[in-house]
Amino acid sequence: MPTELVLISTLFTGLMLGVIFSLVAAGVTIIYGSIWMPNAANGQFFLLAALALWSAAVSWGLHPVVAALLVIGASVPASLLLEQVLIRRFYDVPNRNVSYFVLSLGITQILAGLFSVTYGVWSDQFQIPPLMAGITFLGPFPVSNSRLAALVTGVALLAALFALLRYHKYGRAIRAVFQNRDAASLRGVNVRAIYRLSFVLGNLVVAAGGVLYAFAYSFDLSVSWSMSITAFAIMIIGGPGSVVGAVAVGMVFGFTQAIVSAFASPTVATFSYLGAMLLILLMKPSGLFAR
Amino acid sequence: MTDALRKHGRGLVVFAAAAYALPLLLAGNRYFAFIGGIALLHVVWTAGMSLLYGYAGLMPLMFAGIAGISAYAAVGLMAAGFSFWTALPIAALFAALVGVGLGLPALRLKGFYFTLCSLVIQTVITLAFVYFVNLTNGDTGISQIAPPAWFGGPLQGVGFDLVLATLAVGAMVALVLIVEAPFGRRLVAVREDDELAEMLGIDVVRQKLAAFFVGSLFAAVGGAFYAPYVGFVSPRSFDVLLSLNIWLMVAFGGRGTIWGAVVGTVLLAPLPFLLQDYYKVKDVIYGLLIIGVIVLLPGGILGGLGGRAAAGTKSPGLRRKEAA
Repeated sequence: MPTELVLISTLFTGLMLGVIFSLVAAGVTIIYGSIWMPNAANGQFFLLAALALWSAAVSWGLHPVVAALLVIGASVPASLLLEQVLIRRFYDVPNRNVSYFVLSLGITQILAGLFSVTYGVWSDQFQIPPLMAGITFLGPFPVSNSRLAALVTGVALLAALFALLRYHKYGRAIRAVFQNRDAASLRGVNVRAIYRLSFVLGNLVVAAGGVLYAFAYSFDLSVSWSMSITAFAIMIIGGPGSVVGAVAVGMVFGFTQAIVSAFASPTVATFSYLGAMLLILLMKPSGLFAR
Repeated sequence: MTDALRKHGRGLVVFAAAAYALPLLLAGNRYFAFIGGIALLHVVWTAGMSLLYGYAGLMPLMFAGIAGISAYAAVGLMAAGFSFWTALPIAALFAALVGVGLGLPALRLKGFYFTLCSLVIQTVITLAFVYFVNLTNGDTGISQIAPPAWFGGPLQGVGFDLVLATLAVGAMVALVLIVEAPFGRRLVAVREDDELAEMLGIDVVRQKLAAFFVGSLFAAVGGAFYAPYVGFVSPRSFDVLLSLNIWLMVAFGGRGTIWGAVVGTVLLAPLPFLLQDYYKVKDVIYGLLIIGVIVLLPGGILGGLGGRAAAGTKSPGLRRKEAA
């Protein structure tokens, strides 16, 4: 039954891409919602995680799981360093979103340049050794266990992120800052600490997205920019600062890409994002899930 | 109108003298003359970006995309048998209208969302240049674009450089006239406080749309001239990096100042050519430059030196509006 095969394969691809888009867009929206930083470098951070994973797993020969944990863990001190050196300078600047945006475009340029003279020299296609061996059949559709594990991990991470934001003390403080930073400050929330935490958490989630993407698909250096743009489009449509919006729209984008790619090319899927974004902006400029 | 020209008269005369002298001085070396011509072309672009970013407070990262649409349209029309001088206004108007059409939903948004959206739009325009192969020849690009006809012969060499100088001077005169007109003052009012401007009876969205159309025309005219001057267009010629560079020239020189954009252009436009031998680290240097500008020189060179200039553009618009 080829129809069934196409259906299940499209569903699976949509789910896989949707989870990755959701993770990255959630990371971007957490950072934008708290410190008003529209991080155009999110795609480069995403790629950095994927490339670091490749180095750790292929060049150093670490076990993929160890390499993945190492990369995601390393994003924390890296984010803290960046926050210390550059990000915190702008916390009190009026209209800081423009400054941050330009700053992140500068970071994008630097990382893109570094990648092309380092990794770009070695290969134009990167592949990570599988997390685990074997294949599982979903009906007639064969899925490698490695990709399945990436999907399950992604869903678990999204669930953990929701739990953190909803139930944990820090998550509640982050959401309080999203909604009203003055009121949060009056209620004893340390706003600057929350800024720092949000920056670290957002980048951690983006890095996790990059790691999962690298396990699920082979990738090249061009993935970074398309991920940046996709994450921005998701954030604009979902409503900046809304993690629920990021995840909901991220899943829709994942399925759109899977369905459109099955019948036309991924470029057409990107055109459809633009159409959707412009349409939503005409109808509801604040985004679908904005409060 | 004459007031505006008198106010900036000395600057315009100095600029015109420099713009015409540049091609003549560099005429001995075709490579340097070409870099000079590219810088003059960039003045047209930065004049448009200066209007949009410096005065209207919009940061359109789809600027290069509009220039590209115009360039491809001009090349297409020339291939269809039109002369360059007929193709130029059609292509420029078409590109500016497409730009306004794409920017329309985003222009209704407050402040920063427009920039985000324009980045997405720029990326999609670049993708479209690659995707519609039969119109644009895809990634390969279109080469050997014929020079425009000029009094019977092809326009090239120093002649073309002088035409670009005229274009750059014309762009600066247009910028001065627009900025000093009531329309320009309304734009500054919108930039400074769009809610207040709205209360004063300014239709904010309409002002932004008009500004965006005019700024897009600058982009489009520059793009149409770029194609025959360089003789080659590809999707990479008009990607987001060009938008960023043009923005950087304005921000580096000083936003909201007439001559800041020109200073920024003169300093930055030749940079890619001078860095040609270091092309591997070009991106990194550009990134560091961007970060340096935003951290060290938030007001740009002229804005940083003369706070007066920046303040001068700010309050008169509001004051006059309140009086009106």
